[in-house]
Parts: sequence; C-alpha cells; structure tokens
Amino acid sequence: MDQTSSSFVGFAGLASKNKEATKMKAKRRKKISGADLAFRICNGIFMVLFVIITLYPVLNTLAVSLNDGTDALRGGIYLFPRVFTWKNYETVLSKDNLITGAFITVARTVIGTLLALVMNAILAFIVSRKNFIFAKPVSLFWVITMYVNGGLIPTFLLFKSLGLTNSFAVYVIPGMVSAFNMLVIRTYMRGIPDSLEESAQLDGAGYTTIFLKIISPLCKPVYATVALFVAVGQWNSWFDAMLYNRMASQYTTLQYELMKLLSSVSNQSSSAEAMKNAGEGSVTPTSVRAAATIITMLPIICIYPFLQRYFVTGLTLGGVKE
Amino acid sequence: MKTKAINMVDLKRQKVLIFWAAAITIYGIIFNYLPLAGWLMAFQNYKPVTGLLHSQFVGLAKFKLLFSDVSFLRVIRNTLAMGVINLAVTFFMAILFAILLNEMASKGGKKVVQTISYLPHFLSWIIVTGILHDALSGTGIINTLLLHFGAVTQPINFFAHEKYFWPIVAFANVWKETGWNAIIYLAAITSIDPSLYEAAAIDGAGRWAKIKHVTLPGIKPTIMILLLMNVGNVLNAGFEIQYLLGNGLVQNVSQTIDIYVLKWGISQGDYSIGTAAGIFKSVVAIVLIVICNHLAKKHGEERLF
Amino acid sequence: MKKKMVSALLLTSMLASMFSGCGKAQASGGAVNEDGIKEFTAFFAVPGSEINDDNEIQQIIAEKTGCKVKETWLTGQTAEEAVGTLIAGGEYPDFIEGGNGSKQLYEAGALVALDDYIDKYPNIKEYFTEQEWDQLRQSDGHIYWIPQFSNIYGQERACTHNDEAFWIQARVLEWAGYPKVETMDEYFDLIEAYNEANPTMADGTTTNIPYTILCDDWRYFCLENAPEFLDGYPNDGSCIVDPDTLKVIDYNTTDTAVKYFKKLNEEYKKGIVDPESFTQTYDEYIAKISSGRVLGMIDQWWDFAYTGEDAIKSAGLDEQGCQYVPLPITIEKGMKNQWHNSGGVLNVSSGLAITTSCKDVEGALQFVNDLLDQDIHDLRFWGVEGEDYLVGDDGLYYRTPEMRKQAADTAYKAAHTCSYSYFPQYSGTSRDGKNAMKSDGQEQEFFDGLSEPIKKCFEAYGAKTYVEMLGTSEKPGPWYPMYTYSNTLTTDTPGGTAWTKMGEIKHQYLPKVVMADDFEKGWDEYMKAYNECKPEDFISEMQTELERRMEEAAKYE
Repeated sequence: MDQTSSSFVGFAGLASKNKEATKMKAKRRKKISGADLAFRICNGIFMVLFVIITLYPVLNTLAVSLNDGTDALRGGIYLFPRVFTWKNYETVLSKDNLITGAFITVARTVIGTLLALVMNAILAFIVSRKNFIFAKPVSLFWVITMYVNGGLIPTFLLFKSLGLTNSFAVYVIPGMVSAFNMLVIRTYMRGIPDSLEESAQLDGAGYTTIFLKIISPLCKPVYATVALFVAVGQWNSWFDAMLYNRMASQYTTLQYELMKLLSSVSNQSSSAEAMKNAGEGSVTPTSVRAAATIITMLPIICIYPFLQRYFVTGLTLGGVKE
Repeated sequence: MKTKAINMVDLKRQKVLIFWAAAITIYGIIFNYLPLAGWLMAFQNYKPVTGLLHSQFVGLAKFKLLFSDVSFLRVIRNTLAMGVINLAVTFFMAILFAILLNEMASKGGKKVVQTISYLPHFLSWIIVTGILHDALSGTGIINTLLLHFGAVTQPINFFAHEKYFWPIVAFANVWKETGWNAIIYLAAITSIDPSLYEAAAIDGAGRWAKIKHVTLPGIKPTIMILLLMNVGNVLNAGFEIQYLLGNGLVQNVSQTIDIYVLKWGISQGDYSIGTAAGIFKSVVAIVLIVICNHLAKKHGEERLF
Repeated sequence: MKKKMVSALLLTSMLASMFSGCGKAQASGGAVNEDGIKEFTAFFAVPGSEINDDNEIQQIIAEKTGCKVKETWLTGQTAEEAVGTLIAGGEYPDFIEGGNGSKQLYEAGALVALDDYIDKYPNIKEYFTEQEWDQLRQSDGHIYWIPQFSNIYGQERACTHNDEAFWIQARVLEWAGYPKVETMDEYFDLIEAYNEANPTMADGTTTNIPYTILCDDWRYFCLENAPEFLDGYPNDGSCIVDPDTLKVIDYNTTDTAVKYFKKLNEEYKKGIVDPESFTQTYDEYIAKISSGRVLGMIDQWWDFAYTGEDAIKSAGLDEQGCQYVPLPITIEKGMKNQWHNSGGVLNVSSGLAITTSCKDVEGALQFVNDLLDQDIHDLRFWGVEGEDYLVGDDGLYYRTPEMRKQAADTAYKAAHTCSYSYFPQYSGTSRDGKNAMKSDGQEQEFFDGLSEPIKKCFEAYGAKTYVEMLGTSEKPGPWYPMYTYSNTLTTDTPGGTAWTKMGEIKHQYLPKVVMADDFEKGWDEYMKAYNECKPEDFISEMQTELERRMEEAAKYE
C-alpha cells in the first residue's frame, strides 16, 4: 500500500497549501455538492446508456431463443419474439447425454476452481514474499508460459502419455496454474503491508500460518475474482472434452454436448448432404445457439451475486492497516 | 557479512517456500515447457505420419517463406494495429467504467449495473457480430439515426470501407468485454483503505481529487500488471471477430496472423507454418514484455518479474 | 523426493512416445456387447448430427444386422486438424471418413486396404463398376475408401436441381406471362421491367431487392463461377474443359467473364444489384431471401432451399409466388446449357474407410454390406413403415403431412431416425422398381409439396420438376468433374499456391470490379493482380490431371 500512501501524502500536502482559502470553505462545500449533483446525474446517464447498450444483445438473444427458428431467419427480431415458441429450449434440453454433461461440468467447475485457486494462491504467496530468494526467477518462469505454446499435437501427445486422455483429470490438472491468475493475486498480496507478516513472524509463525491465517483472509476479493475467472473458463470449455475425451462419453461436458448439437443443425457446411440433414426443421443454428447461450448463462447469473459482495461493497482492510 | 547471515537464516525459514516453488516449477516444466518440443516442427516439413523425430528437417525455410510473403507482412501490420487499438480502448474503458461504477451512490444500482455489464462476455462472437452487422446495415439503427439527424444523405455501407474496420472491431471488443474486464479493477478498489478517503474528505478533497489521489493510485499496481501482461498480447488481436466481420472488400485490413495461418497452414495440412508463426509471436511478445518490464523497473512501478 | 521420481518417470515416458511419431495403434472395436450386438465406432471429419444412444431405428438395424456403430462428428475443428491429432495419437475408431484429411490417413498407413475383401460382399461389389473401383486406387494400387454419395441405382430420380442456376421468383415469370428467358440480358431486362411495374411486394410497402449476390467467404461461388455455365460448360468447378481439344481453359479471363461482370457492373449502377451484396453475411442473405423481397440471384439449390425456401413457406409467401425456379441461361441465344448434369459424380477424394485399429474388418464390411440391403436402406432413408411412411395400394410409399413434419423435427431425428448418413447409400430407384431409394426422389411426394404458383409455372413451361426447367445433359466426359482434383491441391505445389492466391485476389477484386465507376479500369486492375498469382501454374497442373484421367479412362474402351 506504500504507493497509495505516498501519493496520498502528496495530496495532503497540496491540500494544506490551500488552507488559506478556509473562509471560502462553506461556500466551496456548497459548490462542490452542486458539482457533485451534476456528476451524479452525468454518471447516472452514462450508466443507463451503458446498461442499455450492454443489455441489448442479451435481450435480443433471449428474444431469438424464444422465437420460431424458421421465422427468425427473416430477421427483424429485436426485444420480443415474433412467433413465440419453447421449441428451441425443448430441442436443446432433449439432447442426449445432457445430464451426464451437466454433471461433469459442475464437477469440473467445482474441483477445477478449487485446485486452481489453491495452487495459484500458493504460488502467488511464494513469489510475493519480498525476501524469498527465488521470487524473481519463479515469476519469470511463469510469465513466459503466457506467451509460449507448443501447439495442439505436442500437447495432445503429452496428455496421452501422461494417461490424461479419456479421463476426468484432463479437465482439472493441466490448466491448474495460470500465470495470469497468479499475477493478479500476487499484485493484491503485495498491497498488503509487510508489517503484518513481520509481526506474525515475531510471534513465531511460519510461512504456512502466515499464508493461511494472515494473508488469505485479506485476499478474499481477489480470490473471488480469480475463482470467477477460473470457474467461467471451466464452465464454458468444451474443446478439451472434444479433443481428449471424444470416445469417452462418460466424461462429456455440457458445453461439448451443446456444441455438437449446434454443429448438427449448422448450415455452415459446404456439403449438400449436411445441409439437407440440417435443414427442414423449425429450429435453426441461430435459434438453437440463442437457447444454448441463455441456458449456459443462467447458472452464472445465479451464482454471481454471491461472489459479487466481495468486490462491490468495498470489503474493508482498514482494521488491519498499520 | 550481515546479509549473508540473514540469507542463511532465510534459507532455513524459506524451506517450505522452496519446496512448493520446486513442486510447482516441476509441474510447469511438464505442462507448459515440455510441449515446446513441438517448436521443432517450425524447422521441419512436419507430417503427423513421421512425427517429430523423422520429419524432414528444413531449417529456416518456413520462416523465410513467411517473411518473404508481402501479405504476411500486411497481416502483421493489421494484427499489430488492431492489437494496439483494442488494448488502448478496452483498457481505458474498463478502468473508467470501474471507477464510475464505484462512484455510484446507490448500492443496489451498482450491483444491477455491474451484473448487466458483464453479461455480453458470455455471448459468442458469432452472436455479437450478428447483432453488430444488423445495427450497422443500410437499414440498421446507426444509419437510421445518421439519416434522421442529417449527418449523412446516403446510408453508409460500414463494411465496405477499409477505414471503418478497425474502429468497428475496437468497438465490438469494448462492447463485449468492458464489464468483464472491470471486475479485476473493482476487486482492486476494495483493497483501498477507506480511511484514505476519509482523510481526503477532511482535507476538503472533492470527488475528482479523491479519484485522482486515492482511487487511481490504489489500483495502479493492478493497472500496471495488466498493462504489462497485455502488451505481450498485442499480436493476439484475435481471429474469430475479424473472420466474422471481414469480407473481400476489406480483407487488406481485416486479416490477422491467425487467419493467415489458418488459410496457408492448417487448412492445407501444414503444421509447420502455424508453428513458425507461433514462435514469431512468442518472440515478439517476450521481447516486448522484457522491454516494458525494464521500463517499469526504471520508473519504480509494479512489474512482472 | 518421491514426487520428483514420479515426475521424472512421467517425463521419460512422455518424451519417448512424443518422439516416436505415430504410436502403436490400439484396437478399439468390434467388441460384442451383452445383447450379442457387435459395437463399432466411427468418426466422420465433417459436421453432422449425432443421434441418441437409444435411437430407435439404430436399434432395429442392430437387431437385424447384429451390428451398431457409435458415430462421432467433427466439432469446432478443421478436418485436417482432427485427422492430424488422430494420426499423432495413433489410435483410431473402426470406421473413418477423413474428409479433406483422407490423404493424410492413407499416408500414415492408418487404413486397411479393401481390395481383397470387396469380392466377398455382393452389395459392396455391386456398388461400383470395375472402372469406378479402379479409379479409387491410391498410388500403391490399393483401394482404401468407399465414396458414399451420388451413387444412382436404377433410373435416376432427381426432382430438384441441386446445383447452381440463375433463380427467379415465380411471381416475376407469372407477371410477364411466362416468357422464354435464355440469356443474361433477357434475365436482367425481365427483372428490371418487373421491378419498375411492381417496386414493392404484395403488401405495398416492402420494397423489392431486384438482384442480390451472396459473397460470404467460400460461398462467393455465387459471384465468381457463372462464366463457366454461361459459356455452356458444366460444373467442372475450378476450370473449363474443352471437350474437343481436351484443353483446360481458365474461365476467369474469357470474353464471357468480361461480359458477365460488365453486365453486373451496369446493373449495379442502375441500382438493380443490391448495394449490400458484397458485405452481407450468409445469415443476412438468407434473411433477405426469406422475406420474399429478392427477385433473382445465382446460387446452388441446397444453399438456400433448406433455409430460405422453408422460411418463405412458413411465412405463407409461397402463395404470393416468392419461391424460386431456375432458368436455363447462357451468354448468347441458342447455346446448349449444362447447368444440370445427369448421373452421379464419383468423388474419389474421400470416403468411408476402415482403420488399422479395427479388430474385426470382416464384421465391419459385413455391416456396410448389410446397410445396402433394400430393407435396411428403406429403414435408413424412409423409416419405419406405418410410423414414418405408408404404402399405397400401388405399392408406392407416401407420407402424410404430419409424418413429413415429424421427419424434420430435430429431437425426433435424434431419437428415432438413423440414416447412417456417411455410410454408402444409393439414390435413384429402389430394387422394387417403383419407389425412390430416398424420400426426396419420390415424384408424387415431391409434387404434393409444391405450392400453387410453382405448379402453375412448371405447367406453363411444360415441366414437372426443377430439373425439367433446365433440361438435363449427359456427363461431358470421363474427366468430369475436375473439382475433385482442385479440392485436393495444397500449397506444396506451385499450382496449389497459385490456386489459393487466385481465390484471395478474386475475393478482393471481383466486388470492386462490379462496383467500379469505370469498369474497364477496374477490370484492368483486377487482371493485373490476377496475373501476378501465376494462374498458368494452376492451369498446367489441371491439364496434367486431365490427361491422366483421359489415359486411365482409355484403358476401359
């Protein structure tokens, strides 16, 4: 927090210079609240516009998902369905293996998020210790991983030889440590005053205790953020299921099933045979995609408020400050 | 003398740290570094049949092929341009949004706005570009408004002119990701000691002064880290959105490295070209972050390593 | 320490397998399940519909043949990527259709040579002629895959013209009193005249779009390949073959090409060509077609029929004559047109193959053989009698409107229908000599589904089907079609590189040519860029292939 504090000291100095203007204070305060009001109004307008612009695509998707697929081909659906139907949802929900997929997806989201959170937090803790002798090389080691990639085939071969193909582990083991998430946590941890660690050390606490009892409780907001990132990634991913568990249908995921459904009604094919198979129905790729998107979004919308309290209400660190 | 003694003590105390660091490093070597053996492909005429060991070795031929092609140089330009524009615009918007959201008085409003703002993140590009295409078409909302206010006399065909393409891509990125990107900054804002705001208020700081002297410095480390990380990503300007929004008329400015690789590599069964382009991107990224990290260090800012 | 040991072990084993290229193939299928049914696996490197595990017709077929195949399809990858990963892993499903990756599979030695087996299975043997089987031989002289489509049994039963044509709405022809339209000029004159007299649709407010061009990504064939048809040549795809001199001609630079694009340029300036043509996406194009506003366009039937035409019908616009009929248009009057060719097209570049991972090759082939039995074939493409179709007193199959609707339902298809759509199959006439092999070839079925304006239009031109609107041409020669070769070109050869570059340049310049203020200048710029791609490299490789094919064919005369 030293940077914040020093900048603030600068500001305080600046403010004290202006102290001769105290006689104007009453007037100024009034003026400020006038400006404040203007700001609030402007901010309010900005937020309303922002909400309209960002909500529109979602509402549009919802409307399309509730509209007859063939009818929707004509376009011109904005906020409300024109020919209302549940057909798209029925089509999506009647997909074979959807239950298995949903179960695996929930499992990988929960397990994957926990594992990733623990590993990233430990790593972030290690490299954020100021006097840890290997902090720099370890950071560098992970930073590089963000920008290098061996490609599809070598990765496939690696996973295969580790026995990760046709298994659940392939969802949660490979992506466990991510430099991005680690750095986000590390930045946050560095903001926590060193004095906390020092005083705990004087009390004889080891690093494990410091990590579990001192640092982690303060990192809830950033843990929540990273958990959200990992969970959303886990929830949405399907490529790994396709690549590594294609033949192991007991490990299929929700998103993979939805992708298969989507490509089965897809018209993005260059073959007349595939077009013929896809066509002739009242559902279309667009309508099925819309329904699948809404179905995918729902659980996230439901869970979000529980995470949200960690970063909207301004969890206070005040009590533990130096 | 003293430092050495401390180091010995440290080493002993840091045993647990060293153990975990080692374990996680081994994990990283296996999952993140071992597959890099695949980089050999870039120097071979790789075929899955012959594998990495027995494919014909061609040296730098694939790189020469790439860099002797004028259109590859053009896609580098496009990728770089879109990468930089997107980075600047999405970065600015996310920070602005996070700060303004934080300034909202109503707690409930704050929650609602934030929830809505991140929703577009879950829409796929194909949905977003479809809606964008609709809005920008001859009879779409944008042209209707422009005509209504007399800004133009003829509807603008936005997708037929090269000059509109990069701004459209930037806008689409902002539209889809601002709310999502802001989450990190909102989390960072929570770490700011509320007593700093109180102190500022006592000193008579207005809203702007508080933002400038408390909020911004408070999230500065986060901003710096994200900026450094994303600088390395400027050559990953994307694939899907350009692919979905582009057309023959604007292909000179719309094609990115990833599209080029798909066209000339993967869809031709040539893995080596794609790997070579990937190595090029990695090298550029690492050079960029090393430079920027050095600059950050010089200015005493938060850095990556 | 223990951890390190484990890691080290993992590391070595992984390195070992990584560097060995294709690993040891593991047997994957042909296992018999508890019901005594052999289960095979299949992967098709094309997008397709997965059916439910407890699919009803699949179960019936399993009981009759003793075999069942679990099919998986390409999802979110290119065929080459998917096949590349399989080869790297060295593990395959029992059946595979490699799509564009077929050649890779062959080179990897992943496929079982079928020639020794074919004679043992009468249905498979019968599926192709000796000459056709020979065409399928790879460079090592063996046959590895069986193309599944366009194989006609008995008499051909084509009702729809599946390929490319100039299409026009029935209402335009009706308004003009069903005139004879033979040239591109006449076609555009008619559209212009109609649009002037009726600038809107029947509702009086929606304006017509006289002519639109789909130009989205690979679908730009709607813009680019008309010159070959306008010159009276069939769909050889990437080039024209002169049947007399047996020379490959580049249709991009012919006089007809200049005339065609000049005409489009003129019509664009007149406002007849939709100004959004070159920026619209496929979805937007289909939205326009579906709204009934578009009077005419070039396209292939399947590209708009199962989307746009369906939407026209569901909106009731078919009764206003908004559906499309094809016109036999050439550049000059009195030329022979070859928009529609009879007979199947043998696409030798890919097909159903059996992999080296299959433990029971004979069982697998027996299953392929059984699928071609008439009763199984009927189950695949008609369904269950009484449920999916009825049999009339004359022995002809027919479907009630409810059955037709049900057959199109995605969920019903997944739960009930099982066509094993990428296994060998026939079109044409059933072995009973009456019914069509597939429901879409049944004339009565087809005719019942037509709207009044289309029936009226067909009558006026003395036609009963779409095909008769155009007339049918015989297959032009043993080389046909050349696109089966150009599709396999890669940038490994100069011709393939030229081919890819030509595509890029055409994507970029053809719209500019059509939109140009000064056509001649626009065309010259296009030609300059085009010639830099070295199209002659491409043409000469096509010529070589043409000669090879002629030589092969000569062996059977």
